[in-house]
Amino acid sequence: MVNEELPEGVFLRGFRLGKLGVSLTGSYLGYQIQNLFLHGEKKLEKGRSFRHGASRQLRKELERLKGPVMKLGQILSTQTQTFSDETIRELAKLQMQAPGMHPTLARAQFKSSCGKYPEEVFRVFEPEPFAAASLGQVHRAITKHGEKVAVKIQYPAIREAMENDFKLLRSAMLPGRITGHFPVAIVDEIQRGFSEETDYLKEAANLDFFRERLALFSYLAIPAVHRDLTTDRVLTMSFIEGAPAPDFLASNPSQSVRDLIGSRLLELYYFQVQQVQALHADHHPGNYLFKPDGQIGLVDFGCVKRLSFDVAELSRCCVARSWKQGKAQAEHVIRLIWGKQVPFKQARDMLSSVEEGVDVLFPMKTGAAAIVDFGKPDLLKIFGRNLRQVLRHKLTNPEFAFLSRAELGLYGLLHQLKSRVNTLEVWEGIVEPRQRRKT
Amino acid sequence: MKTQHRQSTAKRKPQKSGKRAENKERTRKAILRAALDLFDKQGFYRATTRSICRKAGIAEGTLFNYFRTKEDLALCFFEEELADLTDWFRREKRLRQAPLPEKLFAIIHQHLERIGPHESFIGAVYLRALHPASKLNLLSLESQAQNLRYLRFIHEILSQAEAEREIPKVGEIGAYAFALFHLAIITYWLQDSSPGKGKTLALLDRCLNLASSFLKRGGWEW
Repeated sequence: MVNEELPEGVFLRGFRLGKLGVSLTGSYLGYQIQNLFLHGEKKLEKGRSFRHGASRQLRKELERLKGPVMKLGQILSTQTQTFSDETIRELAKLQMQAPGMHPTLARAQFKSSCGKYPEEVFRVFEPEPFAAASLGQVHRAITKHGEKVAVKIQYPAIREAMENDFKLLRSAMLPGRITGHFPVAIVDEIQRGFSEETDYLKEAANLDFFRERLALFSYLAIPAVHRDLTTDRVLTMSFIEGAPAPDFLASNPSQSVRDLIGSRLLELYYFQVQQVQALHADHHPGNYLFKPDGQIGLVDFGCVKRLSFDVAELSRCCVARSWKQGKAQAEHVIRLIWGKQVPFKQARDMLSSVEEGVDVLFPMKTGAAAIVDFGKPDLLKIFGRNLRQVLRHKLTNPEFAFLSRAELGLYGLLHQLKSRVNTLEVWEGIVEPRQRRKT
Repeated sequence: MKTQHRQSTAKRKPQKSGKRAENKERTRKAILRAALDLFDKQGFYRATTRSICRKAGIAEGTLFNYFRTKEDLALCFFEEELADLTDWFRREKRLRQAPLPEKLFAIIHQHLERIGPHESFIGAVYLRALHPASKLNLLSLESQAQNLRYLRFIHEILSQAEAEREIPKVGEIGAYAFALFHLAIITYWLQDSSPGKGKTLALLDRCLNLASSFLKRGGWEW
């Protein structure tokens, strides 16, 4: 495993980001100049080669920087409609193949946090990680009682690196803040969410919470926390079997399994919004482990959004297209989304865009026509367009930062799975709870 | 018979001197242990030679047969630490195959782990070593022998990395530079109040990776 330094200082990280930008721009200009003299297949080949090179460079630099900048890369990897396939493929590697700590550092960091070396508390501890994340890396281990566990160890001083990244982000977003397109509350909300991820004790509490609240779903596995081997920088959990989404897709699963998993993912999402009022907000493919029989493992509960406003009511209004029933209902929806401070006229135009998305997600049709094919890019295109519109009209709401991330990540994953789901049926199953049969 | 008798005397003699040496070594270790314990509990300056003798269970004059001053005791402690550190590194088979930054990280980390329980003593000795007349001063003749052993040990590791083309030729100066870095890390470690001294780990790892990538990119060759 290659081990790279994690530039910590705000200046050094800023310099690296700046260097990356200049380097990518230079490559792009070079490519465009060469493009003038190329035709046909050669032109296409040159385009592919440029995208591949630039994507690889971007991925490597994000890996090196880790922290929120790498998190941003992970979020971008779910934007299947915004970037080329080459870029998505490279960014997807951020989820599972990020360079990590060498075994001696991981061992030292474990001791620094737990007071003992891994070999003193585990029967077996694999020095090489099997998965890497932006803030930590995960090792396989076996407890003294013989249980298989996953041990997540945080990179040293990642909190300081994250604070520095946010200083950079705040500076970079100054123009957006001045014009009002990107209010400071959004950055605050993103920083709050990401900072929470650095405290593994909070993640342990999230795991306990969601294990209890989602216990109803027998097809879902969420890791159980080993409290005695967990600190703010080390998280020991039961080992969840299954293939990460990219590996699962590479195994070419049947359409029926893709559909089954798709409907289950939506069911879990709607249930969290409607019944739990909190949701797992980190929907990048590396956090899902799938089995051929449609069982789902959900890991990494560092980023959780607790819904402080009535998203359940908003979802019900959206599915019913209640704004069509009159001005009062439209005002009600607008207040739910933006509160009272946004003028009605300004927000009303957005409702038609929202409706466009709802029509794709919940078609008012029956039979085969009611099935949504997530393999088609329609929903993601509309979602992307709506986001741009929100930014343009200065209608951003901090409460939606992680909600949108979760929703967009979910649709991105469903798109990769090419799932076909009767979404309305899944929705109704949640809104009108029924006794689920344990499988 | 005579020959046999001579042979058995010849065999016994080293046994006797061996036993004496063993006893001496046992006493030396007991003094060192007692001194370290008192340095940790009472502080380097407040611990007296009388209290060290009492704790070690020896007569007061005996201590001076082994160590003339408290600084000699401290020097002996560092010498033993260095010997243990090099022995430990040579026993670690996995580390021998590890990349250079990991090897160097492991050496400093292991050192910090070993001296960790004696942090306040190390802090006091560190300040004492700044005095030009102190035996603990890096430039004192008493320290030099120890420093040379350390430099040879590091040089051996760097030479292996050079031979394997992991880094370009850095010569002996590489070992000197690393020794200074090691000292700087101990300075940082002494004032690091982060939980589990996590910031020292981060600094150590990042500096070594930075230096390694700098060397790999030919930064050394001007």
